[in-house]
Amino acid sequence: MHFVPNPELGNRIITLMAALVLVLQIATVGQRGILSSIRIFAVQSFLLGAIAAVIAYFNQASHIYIAALLIVFLKAGLLPRLLERLVERIGIRREIEPLINVPLSILISGGLTLLGYVVAESFYHPEETSARAALGHNTLAVAIALFLIGFFVMVNRRKALTQVLGLLSLENGLFLAAISLTYGMPLMVELGIFFDVLVAVMILGILVFRIGETFDSMDVSKLRKLRE
Amino acid sequence: MNTLPLGMIFALSVAAYLTGAFASLACWRKPVVARRICCSAALAGAALGGCAAVLGILRGTPVAWSVPSGIPLFAYSFSYDALAGFFNLALAITVAAVSIYSFGYLKAFEGKRNIGFFGFLFHLLLLSLTISFTAANAFLFLIAWEVMALAAYGLVTFYHEDRETRRAGLLYVIMAHIDTGCLLLGFALLINASGSAEFASFHKAAVQLSSAQQTAAFVLFFLGFGIKAGVIPFHIWLPAAHPVAPSNVSALLSGIVIKTGIYGMARIFLDSLGGVPSWAGLLVLIVGVVSAVLGVLYALMEHDLKRLLAYHSIENIGIILMGLGAALIFRVAGHPMLAAVALVAAMFHTLNHAIFKSLLFLGAGSVLHSTGTRNMEEMGGLIRPMPVTAFCFLIGAVAISGLPPLNGFVSEWLTYQTLLAGFGAISGLRRILFPLAGSMLALTGALAAACFVKAFAITFLALPRGAKSRNVQEAPRTMLIGMGWLTLACAALGLGATWFLPVFDAMTEQLLGQRVGAHLVTGHGLVLSAGMRTSGTVSPMVIAVGLLVLVLPAALLVAIGTRRFGRTRGPVWDCGLPGLSAENEYTATAFSKALRMIFSVLYKPRREIQAVFDVSPYFPKEIHFESEIDPTFEKRLYAPLQEFIFRFSSRMRTIQAGSIHAYLAYIFVTLVLLLLFGVRK
Repeated sequence: MHFVPNPELGNRIITLMAALVLVLQIATVGQRGILSSIRIFAVQSFLLGAIAAVIAYFNQASHIYIAALLIVFLKAGLLPRLLERLVERIGIRREIEPLINVPLSILISGGLTLLGYVVAESFYHPEETSARAALGHNTLAVAIALFLIGFFVMVNRRKALTQVLGLLSLENGLFLAAISLTYGMPLMVELGIFFDVLVAVMILGILVFRIGETFDSMDVSKLRKLRE
Repeated sequence: MNTLPLGMIFALSVAAYLTGAFASLACWRKPVVARRICCSAALAGAALGGCAAVLGILRGTPVAWSVPSGIPLFAYSFSYDALAGFFNLALAITVAAVSIYSFGYLKAFEGKRNIGFFGFLFHLLLLSLTISFTAANAFLFLIAWEVMALAAYGLVTFYHEDRETRRAGLLYVIMAHIDTGCLLLGFALLINASGSAEFASFHKAAVQLSSAQQTAAFVLFFLGFGIKAGVIPFHIWLPAAHPVAPSNVSALLSGIVIKTGIYGMARIFLDSLGGVPSWAGLLVLIVGVVSAVLGVLYALMEHDLKRLLAYHSIENIGIILMGLGAALIFRVAGHPMLAAVALVAAMFHTLNHAIFKSLLFLGAGSVLHSTGTRNMEEMGGLIRPMPVTAFCFLIGAVAISGLPPLNGFVSEWLTYQTLLAGFGAISGLRRILFPLAGSMLALTGALAAACFVKAFAITFLALPRGAKSRNVQEAPRTMLIGMGWLTLACAALGLGATWFLPVFDAMTEQLLGQRVGAHLVTGHGLVLSAGMRTSGTVSPMVIAVGLLVLVLPAALLVAIGTRRFGRTRGPVWDCGLPGLSAENEYTATAFSKALRMIFSVLYKPRREIQAVFDVSPYFPKEIHFESEIDPTFEKRLYAPLQEFIFRFSSRMRTIQAGSIHAYLAYIFVTLVLLLLFGVRK
């Protein structure tokens, strides 16, 4: 007997998880401790992997399972580990005051989420979407919001390490957008992206370490000194 | 005929260059091995490439291969037609000579410089050259073009410890990238119209272009290829970059690399665009005339042997462009026959210049190798220690001056004939340009001859002017063989021109639908004619025989006289003052004085004489003499441009705050604005 999963159920589960991912993202904006930021990122990535797995199940696209496994292994396991070790080696645990204070930052994040919905709305054509594509509607909005908030974190934070975290959550947004729109890119492309992220974190990790050594601080505002 | 052998041989020659690149890099710790690998791989590649070229030209019809890459618009497409074959032939002849020459030349690098890295760049340059001549996909062509620019940059700056060299390299790399940028935009226009990056698809697309787009495409391609070819006013990098490179590389740069610009013009203007508007042809012709005349005039004022040769490259590119421009005009005006003759003239001169210019650069390299200086004022009398080099250089000098019976004469004569025929064929006022261009070509030839009298006489004749040119030795045998090969080619292409001309038939038929080889040859294959009823005829072979008839009796008389009376050596004519020394000789500056005066409007010479007196003003103790000509283009065209760029950049610096947050914020704000803009629609 062939079991056909109910797409409506899948849609609800995914929307719920995407909402959780978004909440975690906004939590990063308000978070001051670096270690907790890393852990939030790990949980977020785990949820993302779960979303990928759910999409794989409900769309019967078995190759997305591999992507899901990879994201859980890399982004929820390996990368947070690497970053935590980096934090221990540098010995900086708390972020100093961001450029824009926390309440205002959260307000801005709310605005960016709204922008994400507005943008996603322009992709939404209910008259021509099947049940399959409807699955992506909410998720795309969340993905764009994730991307924008991740970017905002990079602009707003002073420490190089939190900027790396911002970049990684931005990348999570990209992954979510890709998987919700296309139901999984070809596996080769996914592998390529994961490899890129891994290398990027390695390089950034070294860079962060060097910045910390050279300037006795991870504050990238001090890089201004490099200008002639 | 089967296409397989041609493809195989071409692939093998590419493989030889690739192997040469990586094998010599791998042996960089063993200079002797690296040198041997580098030179023999280049020789093998040239031999195979030459075979492929001959097969390609004989075949007549184009052969194409294509391997899809999986990337949109990009494919590894090659097309081996007569034009590609012809340029590959020029490449093979030059590379064969340069690689034999390098066996001896690179020996001086052993233990001092990294021959492995040199070999890597050298082979990369050769590889990119042969690929850019055969590529049939715009992106493949651009990649080869860019690799060529970078490899040439690496070779130009090979003596990077010199400040002058680094400056020249920088100038070169900037100009090379402006030129790649222009080509990229030009190809973007064509690709946009055709929806494909294959050269073959441009034929149809070119018809659909609006006239504004056609103008833009012509200007972009002419700029791009013109910069690479070194036409005036985009030439400033050429006399800076070519002399500072190692001499075997200079030979390649002047011989072949600048010809890629000519190849590109022929390929795009005649093949892909299928002809350009009449004003565009006129522009090419005028730029050619300006480059030829100014190139040779600047060459006359040079005392640096290699810079002098570099300026002559500009002159010869000008002559080639005269032929090409005439071909473009005739084609639009509906004279395919004349266009074909003009194209033959241009392409023949391209090959000839590749041969005699590399010969001259190799000769200059031998002189530099033995004396250690490029300054002609320190040379002199080198014909006695270096007779073979002197002979080869002399042949090259005669050929480049366009004197019969060598190859330079034949192609310049053909160019001249087509220009004269243009007056009768073209209607309207612009036809006056043709005889004017013809007379300018004649002037160029005369000035070039004057310049090479100076170059040869100051370098090789009379007494040594400086310590560096005493006690010198002839170059090693391999270097002489390399030069000898090109010397032979100069003579063969001159004397055998009537047998060589049918080679162009396949090319002119493909590009212009005409075969003119048979029309150009009359008198039982001994006499050249320009294919028109009214045109002149000339026979290099008969001239050569005539010269022999004149010279032989004299030589005979000398031989008989020597045998009968013996030989006595006496002092030269010394005006009754015995003991002439090097100080009494003409210098290069003095020799060119007359021309400096005649063309002083152009040169705006500046000179400064300072005398230091001891007792009386009639007996100066020391005299300092300084003379310099006005670098017009650098001062009037490039200096204001540079100033503008600097001023603009310093304005732009205010937004370069050096803060990562600011940069991120720029990107972020742009992104949000673009998103809002996209949603609004």
